[in-house]
Amino acid sequence: MRAKKRVAPWARARAVLSLLLLSGFSLSTVGSANAATTVTITDQRLNGAGGVTLDTSLYLPTSRPAPAILLAHGFAGDKSSVSAQAKSLAEHGYVVLTWTARGFGKSTGEISMNSPQGEVADVSKLIDYLATRKEVTQQGARDPLVGIAGDSYGGSIALMTAGYDNRIDAVAANITWNNLSHVLFPQNSQDPSFGPYKKFWAGTFFALASLPNAFGGECGTFAPAWCTAFKDAVATGLPTPADEKLMLASSPSTITSKITAPTLLMQGEADSLFPLTESIANAQQIHQAHPNVPLAMIWHSGGHDGGTDESKRLQAATLNWFDKYLLHKKITFPAFQVTDTNGSISLVDSSVIPNLLQSQTLPINPVYSTLPITTPFTALIAPIGGIPGAISSLPGVGSALALAGNIGGVSAAFLPGQSGFLETAPLAHPLSIIGPSKVTLKVSSNKPDATLFFSLVVRTPSGQTKQPNGIVAPVHLTNLASDGSLFTINLPAVVLDAAVGDKLAVAISTTDQGYAMPADGRLYTVTVASPLSFSHPVFTSSKSKSSLYIWPIAALVIVMLSVIAVYIRRPRHNDEPVEPTDALVTVSNLTKVYKDGYKAVDGLCFFVKRGQVLGLLGPNGAGKTTTLRMMMGLIYPTDGEISINGKPIYPGSPTLAELGSFVEGSGFLPHLTGRENLNLYWRSIGRTDDPFFDEAVKITDLGKALDKKVRSYSQGMRQRLAIAQAMLGMPDLLVLDEPTNGLDPQQIKAMREVLKSYAKTGRTVIVSSHLLSEVEQTCSHVVLMHRGKLIAFGTLKKILKMTGKKAGSLEEIFIELIGDDLTIGKES
Amino acid sequence: MYLPKSTLPYRVEMYRQLKRKRTFFAYLFVMSLPIIVALAVKFGTTGNSTGPTRFGAGTADLIGLATKGAANFTATIFYFATPFLLIAVVALFNGDTVASEASWSTLRYLLAAPVPRARLLIQKLKVSLTLSAFGILLLALTSFGVGTLAFGTAPLQTPLGVTMVNSVAIQRLAIVAAYLAITLLVVAAIAFYFSVTTDVPLGAVGGAIGIMILSNILDAITGLGSLRNWLPSHYSFSWFDALSSEIDWSQMIRGASYAVILAGILTAISFIRFAKKDVTS
Repeated sequence: MRAKKRVAPWARARAVLSLLLLSGFSLSTVGSANAATTVTITDQRLNGAGGVTLDTSLYLPTSRPAPAILLAHGFAGDKSSVSAQAKSLAEHGYVVLTWTARGFGKSTGEISMNSPQGEVADVSKLIDYLATRKEVTQQGARDPLVGIAGDSYGGSIALMTAGYDNRIDAVAANITWNNLSHVLFPQNSQDPSFGPYKKFWAGTFFALASLPNAFGGECGTFAPAWCTAFKDAVATGLPTPADEKLMLASSPSTITSKITAPTLLMQGEADSLFPLTESIANAQQIHQAHPNVPLAMIWHSGGHDGGTDESKRLQAATLNWFDKYLLHKKITFPAFQVTDTNGSISLVDSSVIPNLLQSQTLPINPVYSTLPITTPFTALIAPIGGIPGAISSLPGVGSALALAGNIGGVSAAFLPGQSGFLETAPLAHPLSIIGPSKVTLKVSSNKPDATLFFSLVVRTPSGQTKQPNGIVAPVHLTNLASDGSLFTINLPAVVLDAAVGDKLAVAISTTDQGYAMPADGRLYTVTVASPLSFSHPVFTSSKSKSSLYIWPIAALVIVMLSVIAVYIRRPRHNDEPVEPTDALVTVSNLTKVYKDGYKAVDGLCFFVKRGQVLGLLGPNGAGKTTTLRMMMGLIYPTDGEISINGKPIYPGSPTLAELGSFVEGSGFLPHLTGRENLNLYWRSIGRTDDPFFDEAVKITDLGKALDKKVRSYSQGMRQRLAIAQAMLGMPDLLVLDEPTNGLDPQQIKAMREVLKSYAKTGRTVIVSSHLLSEVEQTCSHVVLMHRGKLIAFGTLKKILKMTGKKAGSLEEIFIELIGDDLTIGKES
Repeated sequence: MYLPKSTLPYRVEMYRQLKRKRTFFAYLFVMSLPIIVALAVKFGTTGNSTGPTRFGAGTADLIGLATKGAANFTATIFYFATPFLLIAVVALFNGDTVASEASWSTLRYLLAAPVPRARLLIQKLKVSLTLSAFGILLLALTSFGVGTLAFGTAPLQTPLGVTMVNSVAIQRLAIVAAYLAITLLVVAAIAFYFSVTTDVPLGAVGGAIGIMILSNILDAITGLGSLRNWLPSHYSFSWFDALSSEIDWSQMIRGASYAVILAGILTAISFIRFAKKDVTS
């Protein structure tokens, strides 16, 4: 699903929602319920560890026994938060057990942040329970086939349980932590002190869990030790040694070395609470202890800050992971997948078009490339009390880039005077950075310590600063020498794209509202002591190549098939000469039935010899024009054929070149002059010889009109121009359809002469007319047509004699031959 | 001597089309868009004091970005021209080409000459596609020229903040123009199909534009889901991907291939229909 990335209000609302539920709450429904599969859901209370009872739901699939999946919810949620995902997994054939963690919802007990004696022990009891169920595939005594999955708080319990209870057979953990003290007091340098307290997130966390149960006291259902730890952190910004022990016990970092089940680690790029580095640490520790444990990692565009919702894809990946390692299905699973949301944004609806990248290498042993930093140093001020403070990212709001739009204005993430940039030279090539980076800097302060917030940013030539997802790496440096001390700063792991001309920069801010700050002001100078080292793994776009190649191949195939189809479906014609006769034109058995069933010409037979002027005679609708259209190759005969000089005529037949025609009025480009029209026509018809331009113009008496635009011509002028066009090549055969239509008597007379003189040169003319008298005066031979049929054919004299009466006129003969049946057009 | 292969030469057909006022006005229409937009942005009011006018359904401040420089201005004009202007121009050149010959009755004299039917269509298509391609080029050149005069030559900046120096930006804009040219083949093929089917040039042009508008409307109905992937206009805006810092080709490859597929099928149908057609106009 594409989701809005920018400041769309609902995106912010969703981010707030995802904060409130700490992402454990499944925001999207999963999969489509298959009508055939029914899931049985049983709600019951089960015993946890230490007398705690847990509110649980068991989802049973249709086909049993089946592997089980323990599905944990996020912080401040309950078992119903994951019901949709549970149902979907059950529909895919798993027994799913969900439960409300102790201290939440209807479960009893106190929140102890996934401690080994608390929540982890609870889950072991749940595994014991699964071992008693016959619906669950069993691998041995008290050992069910079981996977565990969860987001955030639920992801942590998944990792912790997999470490403490070796009965877990597969793990899928999303947006979770590796080390709580590193998350809450992040220290991104080698300095041994704790980093600045992540007060905003910690406070939000605490409130979420304690407020719903505030009637029980300020601590709600939190275990007292955790409540104390929170109070300590708020008061001093530091954990006591006891607090530190507490946090460590609840950190997967203590137990990852024991994890032997295949583990899928998912982490969000938009996550300032549990940044990508937490997943790297988890993977590194698991891999170091057991290099053969199957591991996969997905960096998606979501996270606790909101980002883009990829929950559908992640749940599909989780299902695949369990299918692969619980059901042993043959599924290829890339070791490392990254969603790259930079750069591709739809201008239509502002939605992010993510690019999915994949690699077969986990980002646990980063290979660093370096880039020199050209800015030598920067000086910064930390204001007294830390106010005003920069806002890089706030819980439920997301990064400052999303917050302010960052167009044209001052970014909330980088306040003037309180921030500095150590820039590289403008890039000559586009650069993608995926994973952590580091730089060595000399930091000096007017006090012996420094609190600074580092990030890796892109600065564009237009002055924009892009801080990927608003993720910063805080450091707290102690025992600074008066002239400064060298520190290697671990910059945040990010997914970042920089274009040609952009500069990479190490951004430094002295304040951040998400963190506890020193109360007194500082002056800092930060000097560059090393090039920027960044990880630059090789990725392939996970939109599989083959599926992309298929498109151009399909296009090529379709185009080829199209050409072949045109070739196959082209009309074919018999080009063999008919048996030679002395006739120039032979029409035999010519028939045309139009699509609407109208039979315009019916079995017409006649022939024309050289030097003849043939009159095609008949009333309107007799089929004269249809006959001439077939003679011109404009329409296909239904039956019969026409040949000229023994060569057949059909649409496109080369024989048509031997014929000049004027049928159904003129056809010219109205925006050109008569002369241009004649010239262009001649150049269009593929003739290599010269036109008889002057002769044609002279015969048709066009004169000066030739250089006027055809648009301005009268009907008669157009007619004459058309006849000139038909004569341009002085063809052997001239076919004229009603040539005298629209001409005045003088022009008609001239036209007759034109035709006669044309025939005298040994050429042949076919004239059609519905004016019988007209044909009488021009023609040597006559074809009489009526309703598509030949009525009479012969020399004018012969026709005139046909009735046996005293030779009258063609009119009389015509009426004699066909009676009074002079209806026009279709038979009624 | 009659040579079928030298009938209706490209130069002659080009001359016949170029002499038409229609061609001139179509190009004037194309050139007017960047000029009007530039004038409107430069001298028009932005409405109120809360900021520049926002266009489009999203929140990308397109007009604000348009004024960054020539490259941005060109990209914005492409954005404005994609849903209608370019469709109209391509539909005009390809829809009018055969139908106008039919309406002038010149078609039957060409066929009787004879210009072989397939050759007539090939020559017609060559010229109408050249004219269409030039329309896109003209839009790009005018936009870049007008943009340079009005807003200077600052580097390209996309709504996401990716900035590209002009040498890169021009390559990217060329990719955009080429992509538009390929996707508009669908419009050309639809218009051409109508052109060989009807004798009414405006009907052919309007029919093609109508289908593309319908396709745009259907594409906006999200309820249709993945069915929309098969609409001829679905990938028309995929050229945005050419403006990312690193070009993501996947959508553009799909869009371009799909356009070629549709255009190929439609053109084949046009050729087959025309070859068998009774030309009675």
